[in-house]
Amino acid sequence: MTEYIIPLIFLTVLVLAAIKKKDSYSAFTEGSRSALSLMANVFPYLLTIMMAVEVFKQSGVSYYLSKAASPVMNLIGIPHELTELMLIRPLSGAGAIGVLENIFTTYGADSYVGKCASVIYGSSETVFYISTIYFSQSSVKKLGYAIPVALFSTLVGCIVGCAVAKFI
Amino acid sequence: MSKVWYIMLLSSVAALLFTNPGKAVTAMIAGSHASVKLAIELAALYGFWLGFFGIIEKIGLADKLGRLLHPVVNFLFPGLSKKGEKYVTMNMAANLLGLGNASTPMAIKAIKEMDDGSGKVSQNMIMLTVLSSTSLQLLPTTVIGLRATHGSVNPADFLIPATVATIVSTILGITLVKLIGLMLKKRKSKKEKKKAGAPLPLSAKSL
Repeated sequence: MTEYIIPLIFLTVLVLAAIKKKDSYSAFTEGSRSALSLMANVFPYLLTIMMAVEVFKQSGVSYYLSKAASPVMNLIGIPHELTELMLIRPLSGAGAIGVLENIFTTYGADSYVGKCASVIYGSSETVFYISTIYFSQSSVKKLGYAIPVALFSTLVGCIVGCAVAKFI
Repeated sequence: MSKVWYIMLLSSVAALLFTNPGKAVTAMIAGSHASVKLAIELAALYGFWLGFFGIIEKIGLADKLGRLLHPVVNFLFPGLSKKGEKYVTMNMAANLLGLGNASTPMAIKAIKEMDDGSGKVSQNMIMLTVLSSTSLQLLPTTVIGLRATHGSVNPADFLIPATVATIVSTILGITLVKLIGLMLKKRKSKKEKKKAGAPLPLSAKSL
């Protein structure tokens, strides 16, 4: 079902363009023109973050930090096996996918831990990465209360989601 | 972000100095390598989605969608320009469909549009960041696929708790941003009142 939605939207847009007698070809090239310059702006931030996240993971600091935070996780009702996922998730999407795969192979995708991990991954975003990239073309350097509010809301959502997952 | 980044990097390199010093530079370079790979992939994805958006815009669909969602967008982002509103609308639509990579270029353009050059963050910018972070996602396609490959009997059965989680986080995020915005406004007006009252004793002193 879900795999039909995007192609259908695409098809509708193409047909609409033909009906309205607009040139889709030139509109597409015009639109994609800014992609490379956009990337050139985003790239330094991308490299800076990913460089640090990789060494953070490989050094084992993220692992020990997760271990230290485990009791807190238990307290708020999130399985402590998922601490590392919670820690990496706001930083790097690719890194979090790696952790998620690990959880699936260790505990099984259908276990409570696996389900809870899916909820966490599916309902959260790479907050730090997003906020850096979003502001890459603006003059703003300090984001105020954006990141704390985003992280806190996501955390509360995950706690509720994991609680709901227990009954399903 | 810069503080988090600094602490993360410092502690990691320091830890590796004791456990495995040879790994420090290798790991950092591996991360840099991965970023170039991702950048090339993202350039393709941004190009594709921006191209698609180009057609949507040309046939006037973006304006129509914007008008349709105007009440919502106007409540969340008061005082936004027409162009900014269009970008925000497309960003929200892409997020809803789970197309994170399509929503990013729209958000960058929206923030650029909201930027007044003062270097100060506005409430609308914060709202967009929070909204994208708590993203009301309807189709977390990546996780469903990953669960299926790991032998899940019912790969989509986490959708209900995940949807509950994202609804809760989105509502909470919006409420918090609005509340904090109101509080800051109150404090600001109080300060201005104080300022307005201040010159009198000062001038009295100088007398």
